[in-house]
Amino acid sequence: MKQIAESIRDRFLKLGIDVPVEDIENRLDELITKFKVPSNEAQRSVTNYFLKKYSIPKNEFYVRQAEPHLTKIIDILENGQWANLKAKVVQLWENTHESISQVGLLGDETGIIKFTAWKNAELPELEQGESYFFRSVVVGEYNGRFQVQLNKNTSIEKLDETIVVGGGDFIPAPRESELRNVSDLAGGQWTTVKGKVVQLWENSHESIEQAGLIGDPTGVIKFTNWASSELPDMEEGKSYMLKNVVVNEWGGKIQIQLNRSSSIEELDEDIKVGSLTSTYFGAMVDIQTGSGLIKRCPECKRALVKGACPEHGKVKGEYDLRIKAVLDSGTSTQDALINRELTEELAGLSLDTAIAMAADALDPGVVLDKLKQELLGRYYTVTGHKLDRYILVDSITPKTSLDRDMLDEMLTLNETLTKPEVQ
Amino acid sequence: MPGFFREAARRVFAQELKDSNLTSRDESDQYAPQYVLTPTGAKVNRIFIVGTLIEKEDIGTDSEYWRGRVSDPTGSFLVYAGQYQPEAAQFLAECELPAFVAIVGKTSTYTTDDGNVLTSIRPESIQQVDELTRNLWVLDTAKQTLERIRAVEAEEDQNSKIAKEHYSTDTSYYRAIVKKALESLKEME
Repeated sequence: MKQIAESIRDRFLKLGIDVPVEDIENRLDELITKFKVPSNEAQRSVTNYFLKKYSIPKNEFYVRQAEPHLTKIIDILENGQWANLKAKVVQLWENTHESISQVGLLGDETGIIKFTAWKNAELPELEQGESYFFRSVVVGEYNGRFQVQLNKNTSIEKLDETIVVGGGDFIPAPRESELRNVSDLAGGQWTTVKGKVVQLWENSHESIEQAGLIGDPTGVIKFTNWASSELPDMEEGKSYMLKNVVVNEWGGKIQIQLNRSSSIEELDEDIKVGSLTSTYFGAMVDIQTGSGLIKRCPECKRALVKGACPEHGKVKGEYDLRIKAVLDSGTSTQDALINRELTEELAGLSLDTAIAMAADALDPGVVLDKLKQELLGRYYTVTGHKLDRYILVDSITPKTSLDRDMLDEMLTLNETLTKPEVQ
Repeated sequence: MPGFFREAARRVFAQELKDSNLTSRDESDQYAPQYVLTPTGAKVNRIFIVGTLIEKEDIGTDSEYWRGRVSDPTGSFLVYAGQYQPEAAQFLAECELPAFVAIVGKTSTYTTDDGNVLTSIRPESIQQVDELTRNLWVLDTAKQTLERIRAVEAEEDQNSKIAKEHYSTDTSYYRAIVKKALESLKEME
């Protein structure tokens, strides 16, 4: 403890302040011995106390401490780490939030990292292509990637030298992203997609210009065109090339987003939206919650949760029937969404009957029970459009007979394969 | 939930499940599912069976705890349902015997004092079904078992290799079981 006290005293001495070592020790002792504070925490707390007492700005003190140590971008490995960087502003981005003053990329010879300068940090404006010495930036992690944040404690000094940015393949000019098939898209990519607008959805939010589904021969994906992107509208049934769109993943679903650096080009060709329908055979092993008799928002048709729409709040819902089923082949599983028409047919239960049943029992759960009773454990073939993990079922057929040919074939197969074993 | 996926419900005949005594579980994660690896290399967490419910008994002391026996062409499965499987327990309490039932559930194992491993099924759902569904399941299970037997003989994948090493699987025995099951369907023609 004596050592810690001495080191704190030394640091203050460098600033020309002589703090009595007994004072430091007493405070440390109280925290460490009496209040069981870990010693490094205690050290920091005591240091801060004396900084306050002698009115020394924290950043001044810590900058002095941290100054000798320069971090390279490649060494940024820890969330919450403080760092001093000499780096070049490789790119400045559109500012997306009012609390941010600048955002973009910094680079040095070892790599490139995203930076965010907060408005309340009141830092001087950075220029693209210039190099700076950044003192006391904080490393943060977002979506699994590191970035540095420039805050109130950060200071920036313009450098005369130009920092060479490593990773030579980085081109700060507008990126031409790779053309990919819809089925190959993965979260976090920038990409270009050629496809046909299969469906446009009713706009649910003013910040969205358009949303819907776009497809190519390999599949269909949701897209969102933000109002802020200032891109032209697309029409249903027409084909487009969408350049520089971002693929992202939300709740396990992949979608593409158009932003200000994206572009839309109408194509003359008519892109075939292929393999739209997929077929799956298996046993129905689960009917999930949210199935059976549900209520939907009259405006956006979304299912209500406890009588409220996630978008429009408390609304008077409209009744609907649907099934969120899980089919299982024994080696894989497939989620399937079954609409009202097919549910009615399959379970021999009309919407009106379902409503009556629920009213009778004072519980919509009886409808779900009935569906489970009728459907679970049976084998079905479903076909329909595939939309992320679901098949939107167009047709569902129960298996109604045992395949005798297959039975014979398998008996033979079992025999023929057994023979070499016997020999 | 990153990395979340639904366990496929495996198709295994009663005899094969009864012969199984190899369990595995990722010990570093307390929520990791437990698997039973069967002699033909099926890695089972969830299972789907269709068979005939032939016995049921409430073996609970304080609250209801139902044990059911479900037979298929090769043997029988034991199914246990208590307060944490209310729908299944209620079904067992109310149903009449015998009945064709389709069960989706998780396998669980119990090791007796003398080292025997007993496998049973905790149902997620039980439904009464028709005979056709039962026959379809037998065919389905025969097909998938045959496919696994082939993989064990070829030592094709990791599960097959482990199964063969652990059980010294005699595939002709399991081929005989498949044959028995298929022939039971044949007789009904």
